[in-house]
Amino acid sequence: MADTGELKAYIQKKFCENVGLPAEEVFGPDLTLAAIISRSERMTNSVDLMESFARTANALRKDHGIRIRLPALALDTPISKVLEVFLQEVERSQGRAA
Amino acid sequence: MKTPTVIIDGSSEGALQQPPLPVARQQLEMSGLADEGLREEGKPVIVADLYRAFKEEKRTLVDIAWEQQRLHESRRWSVMEMLAAIDVERVSQSDRLLVWNAGRAELTTKPGADRLARLSDTECRRWQEKNPVVASIMQACGTWSRYWNEEEAHHETSFNRLATLFAMDRVTDETFIEFRKVFPDDDMLRTLTLLAISEIVAAVNYANCARVIQEPGLKALFKQVGADEIQHMNYFIAFAKGLVDSAEYAPKEAFSVAHFFLRDGGEVYGSKRQHVEQRGTHVNWWDHLEYREGMYSPDAIDKKETLIFNALKRITGITVSSAEEVEDKWMELVGC
Repeated sequence: MADTGELKAYIQKKFCENVGLPAEEVFGPDLTLAAIISRSERMTNSVDLMESFARTANALRKDHGIRIRLPALALDTPISKVLEVFLQEVERSQGRAA
Repeated sequence: MKTPTVIIDGSSEGALQQPPLPVARQQLEMSGLADEGLREEGKPVIVADLYRAFKEEKRTLVDIAWEQQRLHESRRWSVMEMLAAIDVERVSQSDRLLVWNAGRAELTTKPGADRLARLSDTECRRWQEKNPVVASIMQACGTWSRYWNEEEAHHETSFNRLATLFAMDRVTDETFIEFRKVFPDDDMLRTLTLLAISEIVAAVNYANCARVIQEPGLKALFKQVGADEIQHMNYFIAFAKGLVDSAEYAPKEAFSVAHFFLRDGGEVYGSKRQHVEQRGTHVNWWDHLEYREGMYSPDAIDKKETLIFNALKRITGITVSSAEEVEDKWMELVGC
């Protein structure tokens, strides 16, 4: 089973692949979701953002067997908070599996 | 033998009493060119299988526009006559608030219809060389948007005029102009699904309002407007289905929007959500309903959900029966 640090890096990598932005540009300044949408050429609105979350969650399930529910967060939420929510979901999922 | 085009009965009164109308239970009629004369003599209808109508039956935009006109004319009603039948003095304070809210909400429909007309034409021209059938569906949608715009004008003006007669807080010009902001453009299938769902939410709200309102004239107005919204929903579903049937648009886009409404804390909960997004670009009417003390609140989330599942089935052919199933199917369609 992957440890939390590994999973955190994996989620960051997959999310950045999906939005088409480098990790340092997203997580370095801790962008808000609204800022990520406006900087990503692949996204025009919140629905695109939700799809990026969905793809990240699907990858997590495929590569690590972890199934999580998607967060519903406001557009002024910083990405660090989103990551925290994802990791809480991972913990919850692993707790249920244990 | 030609497969019959699915046609939806133009009459939508009573539709809300039986929310999930399966396609098989809707009125089906033959619509091949051979029986065109018979079709025109019959009740006007919404052509629900547009892809087949253009692609296989070789129907033209003139044919479709004529059917749109017939249906529009058969459903026209007069705001002035409807308002004249309302005994203003007999309308309760609580029911007056329903009217006030509805009037504000309806202000956002005109920018929606204006945008649809513009987007449909842009999309039509984008597809003209690549897929003429999709181009025709887009143009049929833009053509119909004129009726949608006019019918919604009936709703907006009737409710706002009534609020004035009730001597309620006037919508300021500033608010009026704010609510007229045009939505940013998006993928056409998403747009049509969002509009179908928006009509569902509005129709269920109005039907529930009609149920609690005592004054007969006002009850009739809410019923009429609710029936119009169901008719609009049927049109949006028909255009969206046409795009999916063309295989040029992915069903995931319809599911994306449905999920957005149905997820925990999603748009279907309207202004009652813990956090309602503040957008500088436009006004979502469902974010701006105001619930005041003593005011009836027409939630009926279950009914809205059921109608959304039914819309997804008609647009994509995929059956779902819970918000969780919508999320699961959407995630499956999205992939990694």
